Amino acid sequence: MNSTLRRGIYGWIAFAVVMVILPHVVGTGVTRSFVFAMYLAIFAVSWDIMSGRTGYISFGHPFLIGIGGYTTALLTYHLHWPLFLSIPTAVVITMIGGTLFFFPALRIRGTYFALVTLAFMELIYGLVQVIAPNVTGGTRGLSGLETIVTGAIPNYYLALVVLLVLGFTMWLVIRTHIGTALSAVGMDEDAVRASGINVTRLKLFAFMLSAFAAGLGGALYVHYLGSIAPRALFDVGFLFQILVACLLGGAGTISGPIAGAFFLTFLLEWLRPYFPGPERFLIYGAVALVLYVYQPNGLHELVRNGLKRLNQLKLSRNTS
Amino acid sequence: MLEAKDLSKSFGGLKALQQVTLRAEFGHSVGIIGPNGAGKTTLFNLLTGEIKADSGHVSLDGMSIDTEPIHERVKLGLARTYQVPRPFAEISVRENIRVSMMEDNLKYMLRVAWDDTGEQEIAESVGFTAQQLDQLPSELAMGDLRKLELARTLATNPKVLLLDEVFAGLTYGEIEHISNLLIERRKTHGTTYLIVSHDLKALQPLVDDVLVIHGGNVIKKGTFDEVVSDPQVQNAYLGTG
Amino acid sequence: MLQILVQGLVLSGFYALIAVGFTLIFSVGRVLNLAYGSFLMLGGYIYYQGAQVVGLPKFPSLIIAGIAGAVFGMLVYRILVKRLSGNVVAVEIATLILAVVVQAAVVLVFSPSPKSMWPLVPGVLRIGDASVTYNIFIAAVVSWILLGGLFLFTGMTHMGRAIRAVSMDSKGAVISGIDPERVNILTWAISGTFGAIAGVFLATYTQLDPNMWVTPLIIAVAVVIVGGIGSILGSLVAAHIIGMLETITTSLIAAELRGVATMLIIIAVLLVAPKGLFGKSEL
Ligand SMILES: Nc1ncnc2c1ncn2[C@@H]1O[C@H](COP(=O)(O)OP(=O)(O)O)[C@@H](O)[C@H]1O
Ligand SMILES: [Mg+2]
Repeated sequence: MNSTLRRGIYGWIAFAVVMVILPHVVGTGVTRSFVFAMYLAIFAVSWDIMSGRTGYISFGHPFLIGIGGYTTALLTYHLHWPLFLSIPTAVVITMIGGTLFFFPALRIRGTYFALVTLAFMELIYGLVQVIAPNVTGGTRGLSGLETIVTGAIPNYYLALVVLLVLGFTMWLVIRTHIGTALSAVGMDEDAVRASGINVTRLKLFAFMLSAFAAGLGGALYVHYLGSIAPRALFDVGFLFQILVACLLGGAGTISGPIAGAFFLTFLLEWLRPYFPGPERFLIYGAVALVLYVYQPNGLHELVRNGLKRLNQLKLSRNTS
Repeated sequence: MLEAKDLSKSFGGLKALQQVTLRAEFGHSVGIIGPNGAGKTTLFNLLTGEIKADSGHVSLDGMSIDTEPIHERVKLGLARTYQVPRPFAEISVRENIRVSMMEDNLKYMLRVAWDDTGEQEIAESVGFTAQQLDQLPSELAMGDLRKLELARTLATNPKVLLLDEVFAGLTYGEIEHISNLLIERRKTHGTTYLIVSHDLKALQPLVDDVLVIHGGNVIKKGTFDEVVSDPQVQNAYLGTG
Repeated sequence: MLQILVQGLVLSGFYALIAVGFTLIFSVGRVLNLAYGSFLMLGGYIYYQGAQVVGLPKFPSLIIAGIAGAVFGMLVYRILVKRLSGNVVAVEIATLILAVVVQAAVVLVFSPSPKSMWPLVPGVLRIGDASVTYNIFIAAVVSWILLGGLFLFTGMTHMGRAIRAVSMDSKGAVISGIDPERVNILTWAISGTFGAIAGVFLATYTQLDPNMWVTPLIIAVAVVIVGGIGSILGSLVAAHIIGMLETITTSLIAAELRGVATMLIIIAVLLVAPKGLFGKSEL
């Protein structure tokens, strides 16, 4: 087996072991923060598979997450569907919604694509409040939604299983030929075609995978929260968290965005005792900005450069 | 057999290519010469489908490929190099070649690349060293970038290979290496080449026929010797070229 | 009918003002400044601080807001954009993060609760049986004056022509001896001023709150997309298309559909004519 792949798999095992033990070591409050961090990580993974490598930057990911969330919320709240039906339905509907991102991607890329996805997010934010507010709950949203499990620890393990399965699968996917091809699409799409690859099908695959994760994550998340509201979901602040988690962690690597999501969530938690007021969010944003400008390729790149330097150090010591 | 009939293309008012007809039997190669701006690259773009022709038809092996998208034409065996190399900038030489070697189906693509003997073989055949496989295109000199272009097209296993100024910027040694490779491949695989080049000496051993394009028109067609000795060609080609 | 026309025209002028600072930066520097909404927000808050907290007269407060906008614009360029120049996506993302940081800063300094502003000019203007508030009417007039000034500036003055030259062909401009650095700084300053002044009107038109940067950013993006990225004249026409369509939807169908109409226009234009109606360049 290829050695970087093996090291990566050991990394996943170590991560899984630590995460399984963790709730027994830390308190309920921290456990709840971890639940949030894991959902953010799931959303970040979803973003990463669509945008991290391909250059189709999504500024509208909350749109997809929101479709998943609203579908299951409406089905369970109004029609009393059982969760085991409403959640898969939500995933399917989100994947259909994902084609709304895919069709523009046939014609436009880069900034234009990013803006179209942003427009989708703002569009649905407007629509949810206006169209049938008595069904969607309008601006207030819906609360008192059914929960899947109750308590911090069961929710923790539920999120953990989903994150591990989705994250590890996506991580494997980008280590196959698909990952190489997706990177190539981000660099020169026409040259990928000239290499004999059906780029449209490849993009569709990545978008559907991304929508699957967004829909599943979104559906589980609203049942964890027990409520849903347009401003909490279709919001630039929410987009900011997903985007920054991916970028600080290292877009296109899957493991990076997961690390980024944990880092962001706990940055906010660590700051809480020192800065209980609103200055916390300012510091949090400023840290994200400085880190991003310092290394646009993220934590992943920092670690890799560090390892490279360490190796060089070792080499020079061995030769001298 | 690659056949193009009456291909025309205008950009705005500029007639880049007018009624160009061309035939290359399998195993039979054609050199394409002409001054800069003559329309040689445009001809390649029309053949591969990167640009839609205003009129005219292209067929491969007797089958019309006018409606086939670029990647389908590549899979049918029609591949090209770019005049300005277009490597994937942020992945290694090995991965650049891998993109071309992949089969175009998701089931195949969902495999991890366990070994890279295929990539290595192709890279070595164009003259890369083993260490260069891990380099990024940004670390390569122009000569190596041209080799990478060639390696990537060879990796698609072409029957007809369109080579756009492959020798530009190469040393004599490199030109000779690539010429030998092409000649060898033609013997073993029967590959057809369409070669755009300003270097007539390099072209001579590789092609049977030569097509001279000037201002979007084919002004002369014939064997290599016939064409280069033609006074009209010498005038047009050596005059402005 | 007349009401829709008058209101639509005035709103369109206002949208043109919101968008022009955004287009200017794109046409010159080829980057999208997603922190543009923050220029408006800062303008609004600084004016509020001057006119309603310190108690300065309105006009000097407006000038101060404009100057602060210019300074902020230049700082964003110098500290952030220049460092990332050449990486278009990185600039977009960094400016988006900056917008969220500015939002947090505003919450910290001015509290998260919305503040209502006195109109710049109180009262209602009647034209026939149509009426608009003086406030939005003045906004449109200021917009026309500023846009006219910009037009003269880029046509008549040396520096203005340099801006135009860079926006058409930046390499050619460098060859002909124009310093792109000065041109960039100047456009960011102008954009900051226009943004801040538009922000004062926006705040008096709606209200001040730390989220208020999103809507104008979306409007600017919409105008620029419909007009074609990089075309100032196109943005003007597009501002009128969007302003009119919005007025028609909100007054004939439902007031809540304001943003929805704009979004649909963006999506439709991007799909049908990705370069916009007057666009000259792709990203
Ligand atoms: N995409 C394009 N748009 C506009 N004009 C083009 C385009 N591609 C080529 N041309 C023009 O067509 C003519 C032929 O170009 P090309 O085929 O590249 O010439 P050659 O490869 O023989 O040097 C040139 O005048 C060139 O400027
Ligand atoms: Mg050429």
